[in-house]
Amino acid sequence: MPLSCSQLSVNYGRRRALHGFSLAMGKGEIRALIGPNGSGKSTALQALAGLIKPSEGRADIEGMAVASMSRKAIAKKLAFLPQQPSAPDEMTIAQLVRQGRFPHVGLFRSYDQKDEQAIEWALESTGLAGLADRTLQELSGGERQRAWISAALAQEAGILLLDEPTSFLDIGYQVEVLDLVHRLSRERGVTIVMAIHDINQAIAISDRISLLEKGELRFDGDPRELAKSGLIEKAFRVKGTFVEVGPGKPPHFDVDLLKLLDPGAQIPGGEA
Amino acid sequence: MIPKASAIGQLSPWILPAAMTLVLISFLAAIFLGIVGIPARDVLSALSGNGSQEARSIILDIRLPRIVTGILAGVQFALAGLLLQTITRNPLADPSLMGVSQGATLTVTMFLLFTVYLANPDSHSVNELPIAWLPAAGMVGGMIAGGIIYLLAFRLDLSPLRITLCGIAVGAVLHAVAIGLIAGWGSARIEIILEWISGSLYARTWDHALFLLPFTVVGLATLPLIYRPMVLLRFDATVARSFGLSYRRQFSLVLLVSCALAASAVGAVGPIVFVGLIVPHLARFVAGRHFRLVLPLTVVLGAIIVTLGDLIGRLAGGAEEVPIGVVTALMGVPVLLVLLRKVS
Repeated sequence: MPLSCSQLSVNYGRRRALHGFSLAMGKGEIRALIGPNGSGKSTALQALAGLIKPSEGRADIEGMAVASMSRKAIAKKLAFLPQQPSAPDEMTIAQLVRQGRFPHVGLFRSYDQKDEQAIEWALESTGLAGLADRTLQELSGGERQRAWISAALAQEAGILLLDEPTSFLDIGYQVEVLDLVHRLSRERGVTIVMAIHDINQAIAISDRISLLEKGELRFDGDPRELAKSGLIEKAFRVKGTFVEVGPGKPPHFDVDLLKLLDPGAQIPGGEA
Repeated sequence: MIPKASAIGQLSPWILPAAMTLVLISFLAAIFLGIVGIPARDVLSALSGNGSQEARSIILDIRLPRIVTGILAGVQFALAGLLLQTITRNPLADPSLMGVSQGATLTVTMFLLFTVYLANPDSHSVNELPIAWLPAAGMVGGMIAGGIIYLLAFRLDLSPLRITLCGIAVGAVLHAVAIGLIAGWGSARIEIILEWISGSLYARTWDHALFLLPFTVVGLATLPLIYRPMVLLRFDATVARSFGLSYRRQFSLVLLVSCALAASAVGAVGPIVFVGLIVPHLARFVAGRHFRLVLPLTVVLGAIIVTLGDLIGRLAGGAEEVPIGVVTALMGVPVLLVLLRKVS
C-alpha cells in the first residue's frame, strides 16, 4: 500500500485538530478530502507528509513509518503542495521547479540527464515550458499555482498530496489542474490525496472521498454513496439535493439559496 | 557606475571577471596611495624587499596588513549578512540582528574594564592595554549573543520573525549594558573603545589578519556545502521540508557559519556598520536574475567596499583618519536608498 495512516490525532496546543483519522490508499487512487473550514483537512495532509508530529497514531509510506524517515527519504516518495505557498519574487519558474530535484541530487551531485528530463516533463505537463525563464512575480495566479504543481511533479514521487490546488484559480485553470491530476493517476499510477472545497469537483474527480468534520472522519468511501448519505448537508449546514445530470456523469449537488426558495422577495426599499 | 538591469542579461559572463579586476585595482590603489606619499617606484622596491627602511615599514608593516585584514573582514561581514538575510528572509538583516555586534561590544568593554582596572587602577594609563586579546574577547561575546538568540528562537520553532524579534530585544539589552559600562567607566581608555566601536582598521597588524584567516577560509569552504540548502531556506519551512530539506539542521548550520564569520570579524575590526547589510543587496542588484552570481559577487564586493572605504577614510581625514565604519555608514545610506528605489 503506497500510503496509509491509522488513528492519527494532532493537537495544536490544547485544541485537537484531528482525531483518530485513518486512511488507506491504493496505488494510483485519487482521494478527495472534503469538509468545512477548520475541519482538519490541511492538518491531515501535513501529518501524512510527516510535517507535523501526531500525538497519536501513525502514517506509513509503503509500510514504513513516516516518523522514522528522513525528510529526503520522504521527499523521494511523496510530494506535498501546501496551500498558498510563498517563494522569493525574483525566482524564476525554472529555478523553482529545479528545487523539486533536491531529494534526488542532494547537496553535491550535479544535475544529470535524468534530472533535466524530469524538470522538462514537469514543465511540459503543466504547460509552462515556454515560460520557464519568467520570474514568479510576473505570473498570473493560475500560472504561479501551476509552477508550484510543476515543482512537486519534478520530485517524481509516487504520492502527491495537494492542499486545495484549485482555490483562487478561475474555472479554466481549475479544470486544467483536475485533468492533470486525473492523467497523473491513470497514466503514471501516481497516488493522489487532495483537499478540495468544491464538492461537485471532488465527487467528479475522486475514486474515493473522505469527509472530515471538526477533526473527525465522518465518511470514507465511494463518492456516490456519500451523495446518497445526507452527510454533506449535515457537515456543511446547508440544504440541497443531489441531482442526476446525465448517464455516466456524477450526481451534481444543488444547494438551496434563500433567494431561490422565496423568489418573490423584493430589494428592501427598492420600490418607494 | 552600476549598469542597467536590462544590460546585465548579456553582460553576465563578464560580471565576475570585472568584479575581480576591481578587487585588484582597489587593492593596488590601497597599497600605492596613502597619507604618507611614497613614490610608486619605492613602493615596488619595498614590496620586493628592497628600498628604504621607512618605505618598507610603511608598506609591509602598516598598509599591507591593514588592507589584508580589511579584505578578510569585508568578505566575512558581507557573507554573514547574505546568509542572515537569506535564512531569516529579512532584507534588513545584518550581523547586528543576531546581537553579534552588541555582544562583542559588551565583552570587549568588560574585558578592557576588568583586565586593565584590576591590573592597574590608575585610569589614565593607556600603555599596557592588552589589545592583542580584543579580537578573541569580541568574538566570544558575539558568539554567546548569537547563541542566546538562537536558543530563544529555537524554543519558538526558529521562525524568522521570532529570530528577528529576539535579536532586536537581546541586542538592545546588550548594547545598553555596554554603553552603561562605558559611560560609568570614563577615563582615557574610552578612546580605545570608541575607536573599536566605530569600526576601524587603524593599526591593524598581521596578527589580526592571521586571526581572521582561518575563519575566512573555513567560511568560504562551507559555501559549496550550504549552497543548495540556502536556496531552499528562502522558502517557508513547510515548503523547504517538503522538498526534502532537514530544515532545522540546515538552518542551524547556516546560522552558526554566519555568526562565526560575523563575530570573528567584529572582534578583529569592530562593528563595521552596513557592510553586511549593503553588500548582499548590491550583489543581488548586479546579479539581476542570475542568482548563482549573488554568492560570489557578495564575497568580491565585500572585499572591494571595505578596501575602498578604508582608502577613502585614510585619504579624507588626513592625519586624523576617518574610521572605515563611519565611511561605510555614510556611503551606505545613499546606496541603500538608491537600491531600494530601483528594486521597488
